[in-house]
Amino acid sequence: MSGASCKANGAVYPASPAMMNSVKKPKMEQIQADHELFLQAFEKPTQIYRFLRTRNLIAPIFLHRTLTFMSHRNGRSNAKRKAFKVDDMLQMVEKMKAEQESPSLCSHLQLTFTGFFLKDEKPSSNSENEQSSVSLEVLLVKVCHKKRKDVSCPIKQVPTGKKQVPLNPESNQTKPGSYPSLLVSSNEFEPSNSHMVKSYSLLFRVSRTGRRELNGLVNGVANENIDVVDAPSRKKRSSSHKDEAEGTETYVAQMTVFDKNRRLQLLDGEYEVSMQGIDDGPVSKKRATWETLLDGKRLPPFETFSQGPTLQFTLRWTADTSGKSLAPVAKPLSTRNSESCGPMETRTSHHRTALMTVKESVSTDIQTKKEQASCEPRQKLRIFYQFLYNNNTRQQTEARDDLHCPWCTLNCSKLYSLLKHLKLSHSRFIFNYVPHTKGARIDVSINECYDGSYVGNPQDIHSQPGFAFSRNGPVKRTAVTHILVCRPKRIKPSLSEFLESEDGELEQQRTYVSGHNRLYFHSDSCMPLRPQEMDVDSEDERDPEWLREKTATQLDEFTDVNEGEKEVMKLWNLHVMNHGFIADNQMNQAIMLFVESQGAHIVRRNLCRNFLLHLVSMHDFNLVSTATIDRAMVQLQQIQQDLPEPEMEQSDQTLASAGACNGSTLLLSVGKQGKRTKCGLTD
Amino acid sequence: VAASMCPDKAAWRRRVKSEYMRLRQLKRLKKVEQVKNLFRSNREKIEEQTNILNAEWCKLRIQSIPLSPSAGTCTVEFGFPGFKAQTIAVRPLSTVTGMPFMYSWSPLQHNFMVEDETFLHNIPYMGDEVLEQDEAFLEELIDNYDGVHGDREGGFISDEIFKELVEALSQYSDHDEEEEEEASTAKMGKTEDEKVMRRSSVEVRDLSSSKRIPSDMIFTAIASMFPYKGTTEELKEKYKDLLDPASQVKLPPLCTPNLDGPFAKSVQREQSLHSFHTLFCRRCFKYDCFLHPFHASPNVYKRKSKEIRMETEPCGADCFLLQVEFIDQNVLRSQRSRRRRRQPRPTSSGVPGPSRSAEENKDGDSDRETTSSSEGNSRSQTPTKLCPGDDDGEQKACCVVQWSGAEESLFRVLRGTYFNNLCSIARLIGTKNCKEVYEFAMKEFLIHRVPLEDGGILPQKKKRKHRLWAKIQLKKDNSSNQVYNYQPCDHPDHPCDTSCPCVMTQNFCEKFCQCENECQNRFPGCRCKTQCNTKQCPCYLAVRECDPDLCMTCGAAEHWDSKVVSCKNCSIQRGLKKHLLLAPSDVAGWGTFIKEPVQKNEFISEYCGELISQDEADRRGRIYDKYMSSFLFNLNNDFVVDATRKGNKIRFANHSVNPNCYAKVVMVNGDHRIGIFAKRAILQGEELFFDYR
Repeated sequence: MSGASCKANGAVYPASPAMMNSVKKPKMEQIQADHELFLQAFEKPTQIYRFLRTRNLIAPIFLHRTLTFMSHRNGRSNAKRKAFKVDDMLQMVEKMKAEQESPSLCSHLQLTFTGFFLKDEKPSSNSENEQSSVSLEVLLVKVCHKKRKDVSCPIKQVPTGKKQVPLNPESNQTKPGSYPSLLVSSNEFEPSNSHMVKSYSLLFRVSRTGRRELNGLVNGVANENIDVVDAPSRKKRSSSHKDEAEGTETYVAQMTVFDKNRRLQLLDGEYEVSMQGIDDGPVSKKRATWETLLDGKRLPPFETFSQGPTLQFTLRWTADTSGKSLAPVAKPLSTRNSESCGPMETRTSHHRTALMTVKESVSTDIQTKKEQASCEPRQKLRIFYQFLYNNNTRQQTEARDDLHCPWCTLNCSKLYSLLKHLKLSHSRFIFNYVPHTKGARIDVSINECYDGSYVGNPQDIHSQPGFAFSRNGPVKRTAVTHILVCRPKRIKPSLSEFLESEDGELEQQRTYVSGHNRLYFHSDSCMPLRPQEMDVDSEDERDPEWLREKTATQLDEFTDVNEGEKEVMKLWNLHVMNHGFIADNQMNQAIMLFVESQGAHIVRRNLCRNFLLHLVSMHDFNLVSTATIDRAMVQLQQIQQDLPEPEMEQSDQTLASAGACNGSTLLLSVGKQGKRTKCGLTD
Repeated sequence: VAASMCPDKAAWRRRVKSEYMRLRQLKRLKKVEQVKNLFRSNREKIEEQTNILNAEWCKLRIQSIPLSPSAGTCTVEFGFPGFKAQTIAVRPLSTVTGMPFMYSWSPLQHNFMVEDETFLHNIPYMGDEVLEQDEAFLEELIDNYDGVHGDREGGFISDEIFKELVEALSQYSDHDEEEEEEASTAKMGKTEDEKVMRRSSVEVRDLSSSKRIPSDMIFTAIASMFPYKGTTEELKEKYKDLLDPASQVKLPPLCTPNLDGPFAKSVQREQSLHSFHTLFCRRCFKYDCFLHPFHASPNVYKRKSKEIRMETEPCGADCFLLQVEFIDQNVLRSQRSRRRRRQPRPTSSGVPGPSRSAEENKDGDSDRETTSSSEGNSRSQTPTKLCPGDDDGEQKACCVVQWSGAEESLFRVLRGTYFNNLCSIARLIGTKNCKEVYEFAMKEFLIHRVPLEDGGILPQKKKRKHRLWAKIQLKKDNSSNQVYNYQPCDHPDHPCDTSCPCVMTQNFCEKFCQCENECQNRFPGCRCKTQCNTKQCPCYLAVRECDPDLCMTCGAAEHWDSKVVSCKNCSIQRGLKKHLLLAPSDVAGWGTFIKEPVQKNEFISEYCGELISQDEADRRGRIYDKYMSSFLFNLNNDFVVDATRKGNKIRFANHSVNPNCYAKVVMVNGDHRIGIFAKRAILQGEELFFDYR
């Protein structure tokens, strides 16, 4: 989950340099120092959340739409259920099978253009007289094998058609079916007679009559980074020239369909391709730099997608020759906010980077659709993220115009949902909501009390060293859930719950995750506690073994207490320790319990008279009544009679042996301790 | 012979030394072996648990350890040219965090009082390199003690070793004698026959020598080696003592023979009950308890209720009550004696029976004890032989019936409890019927009636209650953290006034005090019908737990078997602690964690440990401070609880300035005890902290 693994995932996330963009222009060093502090504070958590976001896209652990505060993301209803028949399922499967059976490479390449986007342009709806579309020409470029006589590779350009493409359309305005669409016959990709074609590529040329100058991209520069990761530069060459005579601007982009090994590069999917404007005519190759510039600042590769002109289209290989674009064409990948976009958004909204998303289109598809559906009653909210760092002394502000989470680009649609999501999913930060005239301000600071401890089954930590923290990808944890709360009483969602609390931040900073998220140990042996041992409390035992032994040895130390007395005392002590008697009024009951449990032993060991002495002594202490003595002795005599006859004979032997042991143990105790006498205690 | 002893003296000394060394070596080896065995058995216990854990872990998925490109490879090169160097990639294992350090300790659920240690048991380990400051510290530390344990190790000689030493040395002396004999016989040129005869006589003597006292030379030599052990004569006497300690004569004066044993003697009641009376702790209900070093003897306790009634119904057809003349006599006598019995019986156990009985009962023989003891020793009279049904009320037979020492002692013991309820006494003795008992009683003493005491006067409750509130308030105001240990007061001649130790230490008198139940300083308990967890409850207000013998309405005296008690102010005494868990702390070392969530002010656990005096705590504290780890907890002005050696899991709770628990010293049935309570609501799995200051 560190930065390293972040890169390993294949995506390079420029963590926060982009956040700097909005900073004004103080002295350079100051900026740098400030920036260092900023990075120090926010870089690592941001990287972590970036990684988690990608991981969640590939292998989602849960779906956001199932969360209560995200319920509006769940567009599914149960309406269909009424009409549902079991047969429908079969039909569905059959349909899917039929689709799969059709060859992937079909006779036609269908291109459906969603729109041409140019950032500097106001949305088309806003400017009445502005042209709302541009003309697009698509050429199929065939690069042939170089023959000996040729200086360069012979190139054939086959025009496939011209279309009018909407300029900066708003996604919700245009109906999906009305998009302009082009078909390229697959025959075109057959090897031609004259030349051995090395590769095929599509060249998009957009020309637009405009009065305005470009201020974004000065040089016609080919941006390599936006390409498929391992694609050679040739694949998407953007050359540029400007049609100045007509006063029109021309943008071009090129995409490889088949590479020189005749491998298909463009699969079905939605694409957004960055176009290059042609301004100053061709630049000599030597002087060309591989950079994208914006206001003299370097832009990360993806900045071009928000800044530069892009063309969005959907590509489908289809057998359908009718050319109906009404066929279920996947909708555009994402909604493009018509208003200007901050750098923040660009950085994070990765599903816009077309080529990358191809691989993920399946997973993001649903999500995107939902977003579209729910975005219609758009709140024109501007959200200012105020980053507090360096002990909350410094701050930087970023503004966003939508309700996407800046860390995981999730469209939360509502301010409440956004705040709730931030608070629950990004607990490494503290978010405080402050109402703002234009929208909302969210103070972001580092949660110093973030509890990074393990929240899964603690036994996993020890199952194999470090198993719970596998670096090979997500690991399914062993479940530790015990209680399922069904429909808890929920408080009404209110933005006030995100306001900074008055009484310090103790309450807020306390970890939300509670429970046994660690491995416990036995207190006697320091051995790990197994889950099935959790419920056994070693301290439930009032009389640990050593204490039972101690009370016996302590009594043995007396030289002036005889064996019979000692034995009864030991039995009684163990009895009291075992039951933990605390009150005088428990004593009558305690005596009866004693007879019940130890009576047979007392009889067998021939201790009845000593036991009677014990009872009388208890009576002398005012703890038992004579009635108890009577009852206890009657019961004891009962036990004595119930004991089998051979026991009685043995009792004579034990009597004799007790006498013998009387002497020998006494000898031992004299030799061993002999220090304690009961008389010594009384003074 | 005397002349030959002098040159032998040095040789004897040498023998003593070598034998002594040998014995000590033997002892040491034996001890080492014992320790080894103990260690092994403990290891086995741990191994058993480890095997269980290993078996469980084996079933789990095993994560392969990835090859780390950064760690590189490990190459082993051989000096021998024939072998190729071998290389293998390194697979670094992830670090497993170690467990915090823990000294072993013994589990305990109740405080345990230990005596002051005047000898330093071990010199604290300060690391392998003893720094100069440590040395100074150690010197100062040793100065605090009377000595260090094992200082006199070299010259130490215990009774056991002494005995073995003498026995080992006596072999030498026998050998010497033999040689002497042989030499003398050779010199004098006696005949073979005579030699054999003498030899055999020597052997005969040898056989009996186990009881024989070895020669003086041995004791002289030992005395010269260990001068502090005493002179030759003293050593000899001691050896004799050690030889036959089994003899009855050698019993310590107060050790009564086992009443169930064959040597039971006829003794007085006090003597029979002496062990039970002195060792019983009236506060813990145990003999020789772990908490209270001083136990009050019971004869000063006063009867609460008079439950002894003269049995009016005869116990059977042969009951002595049916013989009218006895009853008349009986009643007369008891009425006469009634007034005098009012005074408490003399407490001294030395006096054989009340002198009064001797006056009234002329035939009571003064040398009863000696005769009965001889009777007791005669084995002819086994209890089984003397079934009460055997001699059916024949008066003549009764007179002849012999009483064993045990029976006589038992009779005296029971008479002190049952008085002239002879049927009950006979039933309890079991081997005599009531007629026999009666006749014995006639011989032994008079028969008297139960002394009756005037009925108790009900105390004026209203008055007392007001006084109580005032008293609690007063205590709270005066005492500026001056809390003294409670000790039951015992001043029979005057009521609890300003000279009473309880009053002086600002403690209430408890049920263990010897004062009257109506004592003004007694705490009356509460009459709450609720949970006793507010200051409405006088117990709670006085920082006392409800007394199960005083507070009869709040539930503290009920539901002994269930864990749910309506009274919330009796958790410490009942041990209603929460389940705690042990894990490495988030702060430092080990920590205590709670298993289930608790409410604010709920009782969590008692802080248990060794109860040591303040002086002892000072001495121990020095060492603990040096180790930077202390489990000392101040209990009151007299005692400190030290959980270092013995304790419970709450000892691992760490200090915090913003804790979730608080500690409170509560008076629980006469003992101060430390309760740890929740300062706020605590969630499950939270670590527990309290403020140490």
